[in-house]
Amino acid sequence: MHSHVNKFIETARKELKNEPSQMFLMMVSLGAPILRQIGMSSFPDIAAAESYSRAIRADAIARLPELLEEFEKNAESKGAKVLWAKNAAEANNIILDIANRGGVSYVMKGKSMITEEIGLNEHLIKNGVEVFETDLGEVITQNLNLHPFHLVGPAINVPLEKISETFLKKGIIKKASTDPVELGGGARKYLRDKFRNLQMGIVGVNMAVAETGTIINVENEGNIRLIKSSPKTLVAIMSLEKVVPTIKDAIFMTRMLTRNCTGQKITSYVSMDTGPKKPDEQDGPEELFIIILDNGRSEIYRDFKTREILKCIRCGACLNTCPVYTKIGGYPYGATYCGPVGQVLTPMLMGIENTTDLYRACTLCGMCKQICPAGIDHPSLLLSYRSRQIDIKKQKGEKTMQSRGENAMASLISLGMSHGWLWNFGLKITRPLMNSLAKDGYIGSIPMGAQGWFGCRDLRAIPAKTFHETWNDLPSLPELSGNTSKKEDS
Amino acid sequence: MPAREEILGRLKSATKRQNVDRPAKPTLSEITLESQQMIRRFESELSMRTGVLYQARDKEDALRILLDIITADGLKSFVTSSDKIHGVDIASLGSKNGLSVTIPKDFADRNSLRDAAFAADAGITSADFAIAETGTLGIIFNHNHPRLLSIAPPLHIAIISVKDLYPVYENVMEIVFNNTKEIPSQFSFITGPSATSDIQGVEFKGMHGPKKVFVIMIMDG
Repeated sequence: MHSHVNKFIETARKELKNEPSQMFLMMVSLGAPILRQIGMSSFPDIAAAESYSRAIRADAIARLPELLEEFEKNAESKGAKVLWAKNAAEANNIILDIANRGGVSYVMKGKSMITEEIGLNEHLIKNGVEVFETDLGEVITQNLNLHPFHLVGPAINVPLEKISETFLKKGIIKKASTDPVELGGGARKYLRDKFRNLQMGIVGVNMAVAETGTIINVENEGNIRLIKSSPKTLVAIMSLEKVVPTIKDAIFMTRMLTRNCTGQKITSYVSMDTGPKKPDEQDGPEELFIIILDNGRSEIYRDFKTREILKCIRCGACLNTCPVYTKIGGYPYGATYCGPVGQVLTPMLMGIENTTDLYRACTLCGMCKQICPAGIDHPSLLLSYRSRQIDIKKQKGEKTMQSRGENAMASLISLGMSHGWLWNFGLKITRPLMNSLAKDGYIGSIPMGAQGWFGCRDLRAIPAKTFHETWNDLPSLPELSGNTSKKEDS
Repeated sequence: MPAREEILGRLKSATKRQNVDRPAKPTLSEITLESQQMIRRFESELSMRTGVLYQARDKEDALRILLDIITADGLKSFVTSSDKIHGVDIASLGSKNGLSVTIPKDFADRNSLRDAAFAADAGITSADFAIAETGTLGIIFNHNHPRLLSIAPPLHIAIISVKDLYPVYENVMEIVFNNTKEIPSQFSFITGPSATSDIQGVEFKGMHGPKKVFVIMIMDG
């Protein structure tokens, strides 16, 4: 699917007026953090659990190349074929080759963000291989040609009437319905024969265990288990950061993943595959291909600052707590990954210069960093992208400010901020003028520009006294201990 | 340069890769559960997911419970992982009651197994482990136990011994992944039925896998 990150503001404006989106977002912002909290409360020490999962991810990323080699060695010793792909085109062609060699007419896919990132569906369909998404949310986004609205529930906002209409058109249901259970039941029936006759399946990977060569999938619907059981050929595709050191790390991360994702203590299914089926087994894949995809991540890794993005486990907790995401939803982010994870990852995949709105649409409140079970510091990454963009502009000799006025204003503020007396002096001079513009204690705009700044916020009227003046005018406090007094401090 | 060498080379040339010191592994409250507490915990977690636990005194009691489930749900055809599970004779239960019961070795090839698993009213299987922490079953899939039996039919009945009940996942992982030579091709955790909330956040069971999960636990081991 084509990205439209350049339409961030436009799409956000539209989504702010979109009632179904707004209703769902309200539900998410209220409900999801509570569900997560209930799930996490099963740990006697929640903070200890969080620091442990953060340490696992930090460890995995610090030893990434060694762990990948260990994983490859162990997976191959169990009979899996491990293939490496530098970019989307390579990965897509590897999968197409496997499909062509097997002569399959269709493939079925488990929910996987990485195949969305590389546009696998389009590539296979263009080359004559039909693709069926199987995760209910992805069945809907595939048929409506939508970007994911949410990392975990990609179509959770789509109105029932729209789903019904599309399902009718595609023959997934026979008669119109606005009952979610009937719509889901229709998708179950529609896909069942296809599961039974499946020759080749494609799944993503939640975790790849270096110690054993095992791939782990975490899911509720059972589509992934069917895809890992029914066909003779199975392709598992993972971006290279999915590796964890040991099987015990993997099971601990699973606990953290499900709690942070849906608030569940565990999903309905956690399947752990080590190699293809053994010769005497009656189902499971005869051939297991594991594709390790780079697609820009080794470059992200070489940069010490951006490396930590690779800790992400795609739980989506940062979305549910983000004051920006929970107002505008997933569409404005314009690509596979939305919310804070999209804001830190997409600029690295698509270029700092092409994604300027993504890293500016942030209040730097730090909720994402606080909640992240992988230990990512999103705000500091976003700040670094902002400064990198300015550096790029400077290198190119481009203007870094919008206008001469903005430039002058910035110089003035920077001068004032580096000299306390100058700041106070300036404040005293401008106070009467500024406050003459105030209404009910707020300044809504000023005549000399900065319309953009005032477009979405107000400035408080400037108080009659500075902080220092107020402090000095306070009546003396009774001495608490020793001989400290406010007079001596000031 | 081949993709593998190029990618690994780039990763290895990255600077400032420091080893990470891990904090102590956090304790889990479930680890100290005693046997009766484990059973209660298993049952309450499973029932929160709409799964049902039946405690059978012995194998005869288990057979009676199984027949009750079969009658109540009007089930006619079964795929089972074995004709006898923990002494519960499913094959003769089937022949006495005119039910179709098939076991893995009845199938000539994977296609016929596949067809039977998708057509059956229910899969009756053993489970290698039960885990109290979340009401979870752990199943090792191998030549005795095909994967589809517990995921393709609309109903899953698991028969398990109380001896295989453990407090937390780690207890079970240690056993299954202990010997790196004998790791099963697939090991799965199953917690209740298949579910989804992908449309408007409305949860319902039986998206692609079973709509119901019954666990019969034999208490005399």
